[in-house]
Amino acid sequence: MRQGIEFEARMSPAVLRFARLLAAGGGIILLAGLAAAPDRAWAALLMAGYLLTGFGLAGVVFVATQYACGAGWSAAFRRVPEAMAAILPWGAGALAAVFLAHPSLYVWNREAPHAGFQHFWLRWPFFLARFAVYFAVWTGFAAAIVRHSRRQDRDASVEHTHRNARLSIIFLVVFAVTFWLASFDWVMSLEPRWASTIFGIYNFAGMFSGGLALLILLVLWLRRSGPLRDFANEEHLHDLGKLLFAFSTFWMYIWFSQYMLIWYADIPEETAYYVARLHNAWAPLFLLNMILNWAAPFAALLPRGAKRSARALGRVAAVVLAGRVLDVYLMIAPPLQGARPLAGIWEAGVLAGAAGVLVLAFHRGMQQAATVPVNDPYLEESLHYHNA
Amino acid sequence: MSRRVLIGIFESEDAILDVTAEARRRGFTIVDVFAPYAVHGLDKAMGLERSRLPWVCFLLGLTGAGFKVWFEYWTTASDWPINVGGKPWNSLPAFVPITFEVMVLFAGLSTVLAFFGMSRLWPGRKAALLDPRVTNDRFALVLEESDAAFDVGAVERFLREHEAVRVEEREQEVAR
Repeated sequence: MRQGIEFEARMSPAVLRFARLLAAGGGIILLAGLAAAPDRAWAALLMAGYLLTGFGLAGVVFVATQYACGAGWSAAFRRVPEAMAAILPWGAGALAAVFLAHPSLYVWNREAPHAGFQHFWLRWPFFLARFAVYFAVWTGFAAAIVRHSRRQDRDASVEHTHRNARLSIIFLVVFAVTFWLASFDWVMSLEPRWASTIFGIYNFAGMFSGGLALLILLVLWLRRSGPLRDFANEEHLHDLGKLLFAFSTFWMYIWFSQYMLIWYADIPEETAYYVARLHNAWAPLFLLNMILNWAAPFAALLPRGAKRSARALGRVAAVVLAGRVLDVYLMIAPPLQGARPLAGIWEAGVLAGAAGVLVLAFHRGMQQAATVPVNDPYLEESLHYHNA
Repeated sequence: MSRRVLIGIFESEDAILDVTAEARRRGFTIVDVFAPYAVHGLDKAMGLERSRLPWVCFLLGLTGAGFKVWFEYWTTASDWPINVGGKPWNSLPAFVPITFEVMVLFAGLSTVLAFFGMSRLWPGRKAALLDPRVTNDRFALVLEESDAAFDVGAVERFLREHEAVRVEEREQEVAR
């Protein structure tokens, strides 16, 4: 073990107090909303649950990609994405509440789905069973990977790195299929007459780009408030910035791939999705989505200096994070809210509560292990590498 | 024109990084460093300026994209308008994939060509190797004997202290 470095994840108490306040306030608003405006409150909880699930998964996927390709650079701050996995159960809880208590959110539960395959696929018990399987698989892999990483702190065995590499490769394959299906189940089936085969990849792109933005903000926070001050340097920020740049562009690429084919073919049952989102006040939000998730980060992160500056990178990450929330809102809200976007106390309150829960869950995850993987074979490399 | 250079040959990445940084600190004029692969951190040790290649990439990418949007507009909406599926003649979404490809083509090719130009590499150019082993497992630091104060003996001792396996002095043609 290295000497003279603090390993305790102590975070600023003011932020934690604020997070507790948000979580409690959000919980109260949710309960009030369920009584006063149940449809809007349940829809908001669906968004919150889907966002939290995405952030938790993004942490696990990030760790898995690093193990799978034997990456050394990220070891210094790997405890941050590992702790993000602690958000996953909260996402599961929120989604389970929606699915168990308010199945009528999905129109195919109220009237029988029309097509043959949908008749087989969109049945409530089967839907719930799939939900359980997705989360069992995700949390199972997440727990196994995090456990190996933490055990390495104690016994310093390289075997944990090898095991995690194997686990990660299997997880990435399983994750690709399950997340793709989960986005079909939870989001696309809100409009069962509309189908897009690229929808799962589109959701992955947004989930990972938003997850990277969150990861960057958390690393910056821990760097400023102490625990990672000696570990996460501007080389790490530079590479995280490159990843955010790349995945934000990937999101735009997939967004356009979905849009262009539907625009070109111009089949009414396919274009209905975009028609609904290009009318009334949805239209400016539709354009804002592209600015927040791609145009702004693309332009801002082109210069090398922006990726290496904590200040600039933090601002861009905050913009992408807001873009992620808007992207999910634009996927879920239109079929549930109808002709005009509704964003008021119920939506804002529930999402703010989710933000509070996210910070608290992450903080608990950070406290369960040393701030850096002290015995990771790649740690030295991660502390001394340079960007070319 | 020619100049006299002193060449130190080294066996490891660490040695070449150390000696390069130290030579720069002592104010020697570093002509170049040769390595069999890209050594990370060497640009900093040599004190190289930031490459201007990204600007070539960015500006030519913009040029390519702009040119292609104009060209597509001209072919499909102006010079020979064709009705495709009842879409407007100037249908921007349809132009995006080709615009993207041409942007990447312009940016990529021009960056490679600019790199070859800046590095004075072109077809038929003969390689001028200091030592054939710099393409395999050796690293070479080339210092210019810049003025009368350059003490060859002292510098040679300095290089050997930093694990140089061979030091030699050469007259070098300068193409400029």
